[in-house]
This record gives sequence, C-alpha cells and structure tokens, in this order.
Amino acid sequence: MKTSVVIPAYNEARWIAKVVKEVKDAGYETVVVDDCSRDNTAVLAEQAGAVVLQHVINRGQGAALRTGTNWSFENSADIVVHFDADGQFRVQDIAWVIEPLLQDQADVVFGSRFLDNTTKLPWSKRQIIMPLARLVNRVLFGVKLTDPQSGFRAFTAKVGQQIVWRQDRMAHASEILAVILRSKCRVKEVPITVIYHEFGQGLSGGFKILKDLFIKALD
Amino acid sequence: MLQILIAALVIFFFIGKLFWQKKKKTISSGEFIFWLVFWLVTLILVLFIKQLDQITSRLGFSVSAIQVAVYLAIVFLFYLIFKVRLKLEKIEENLTKLNEALTKIKKE
Repeated sequence: MKTSVVIPAYNEARWIAKVVKEVKDAGYETVVVDDCSRDNTAVLAEQAGAVVLQHVINRGQGAALRTGTNWSFENSADIVVHFDADGQFRVQDIAWVIEPLLQDQADVVFGSRFLDNTTKLPWSKRQIIMPLARLVNRVLFGVKLTDPQSGFRAFTAKVGQQIVWRQDRMAHASEILAVILRSKCRVKEVPITVIYHEFGQGLSGGFKILKDLFIKALD
Repeated sequence: MLQILIAALVIFFFIGKLFWQKKKKTISSGEFIFWLVFWLVTLILVLFIKQLDQITSRLGFSVSAIQVAVYLAIVFLFYLIFKVRLKLEKIEENLTKLNEALTKIKKE
C-alpha cells in the first residue's frame, strides 16, 4: 500500500530537511506543501527528496493540508498521513498510526498525546488549554477523543476522499474531526509522542479557531 | 424650519449629482434607481418630520423620529457588515480553490 506523508510547511527552513529525510528514509512518499514561505523551505525540502507543492499565496495550514491530501489521492496514494514540519512529531510513530489502517481495523487513525505520559506538555497546555479544547469539541461537535486538536492523523483513500473540510487555517483540526465523526467511519486513537520545541497555540489561538468555525457555520 | 430647508437642499444636491453621474454613465441603472429611491425617501422623511414624530410617539417610542431613524440605520449597518463578512469568507474560499488549482498546474 502506498503511503503519502503530507507535510504543510510555512517558514520551516530550520527543520524541514531533517524531517523530510527521516520520513523518506522510513520509506514513505513525502509530500511537502510549501505555503508560500518567505525562506527557502521549498528548496530545502526538494533537495531532501520530497515532492514539493508550492502555494502561490499563503492560505494557512488547513489549506496546505487539503492541497497535499488531494494531490496524494490523485496520485494513487492508498493512505495519507498528516504530519508536522517542525520536527515535533516522531517519524517512528507513523508506523503506529497507519498500522490499524493496514490491518483494516480502522478507516481513520488519530495520534494522541494523552494515551500515555511520554509527551511532556507545558503545564498550562495540559491543565488548562487542552481540557478546554476537549470540552469545546465535546459540546459543539460531540467529539469524545482524548486529543481532538492532534494534527497527526492518517486515513485511507476510500474515507479520505469523502472528508471535505473548508477551514483554511487552524480550525481545520476541529472541522476534520466533526466531518469524520459524521461520516460514521471507524476511528481509532493510538499513542504518539510529541517533542515540544515551541509552545504552539495558546488560548488566543483557541478563540480564533472558535471565531473561524462560527463564521463558516453561518456561511 | 431652517434645518429642514438645509437638509432638503443637501438632498437635492445629491439627487442632482446622481442625474449628472447617470448622464456621464459612471453608475449603472440599478445603482441609479437604488440611490434615487434612497434620497427621495429621505426627502419625504425630512419634509414630514413632524408627522413622523407623532407616529413614532404613537408606536411607543420615547424618542423622536430622527433618533429612531438613526438607530435603525445603525442596525442596518451592522447587518451590512455581517453580509460583507460572509461574502468575504466566500471569496477567501474561492481564492483557496484557485490557489490549489494553480499549485497543481505548477507541479505538472
């Protein structure tokens, strides 16, 4: 089965070559979507051996993932994995994430930072931001997963082509979850480890996500 | 009375300008009709402001007709902002679709 690892990247020159090389060495097709970076992310990714799709204008992580996912399925990928460009996900976890798909035990698999204690989350993120995110996702979308904001996910071509999300920026994670749960496909969570270099999204990012979801819901 | 006269003069100025723009063909027929109706309605409201005050009072408003008009205008402006925001969202969505298509064409 052909597995494509889609990596959205924006100004990730610091990490992209290392990430691409590791994913390539693990034997996966590596599709980097450069979201109109101002640095040489695209060149470095190409030199490291990735298929590079370059956005003409910056459209956000959700849009970059959509471009990469659609391109991969159009180019006969059987499984698509969403992966980060900043070196915070571990390449060896890809095998864990796609295993239930290969065994036909699930159609969609999410990596979760909360199924074991290997991820060292900042205190405020573990105790305040993530519980709030879980609560919002549970109340608004009926999502009962342990890590609804996880960007590490994989799905098969059959299901992937039905998953259509409209959010271009960071709200895509919540929307993808909601769409997947509505589609009634088989969902599984597996533990992953995230190595934090940066804090990531704070509370203000969470509010922006809620605002984006609200506007789209009215549209 | 002087206030009504000044307001009427301002409205006539804008109506005149509207006809001039129509003659120069700088606005479409639709826009011309919209703004003509808008200024005529405003003129009627200004000329019959006293009667309108009585009507608003009878409707239970404790303020004058002109204040009710201002409040309604604010509500209308909020509605317009909301509509523009939705329109903007749609344009953004289409922009992303175009961007994706261009990206794929570039790759081929």
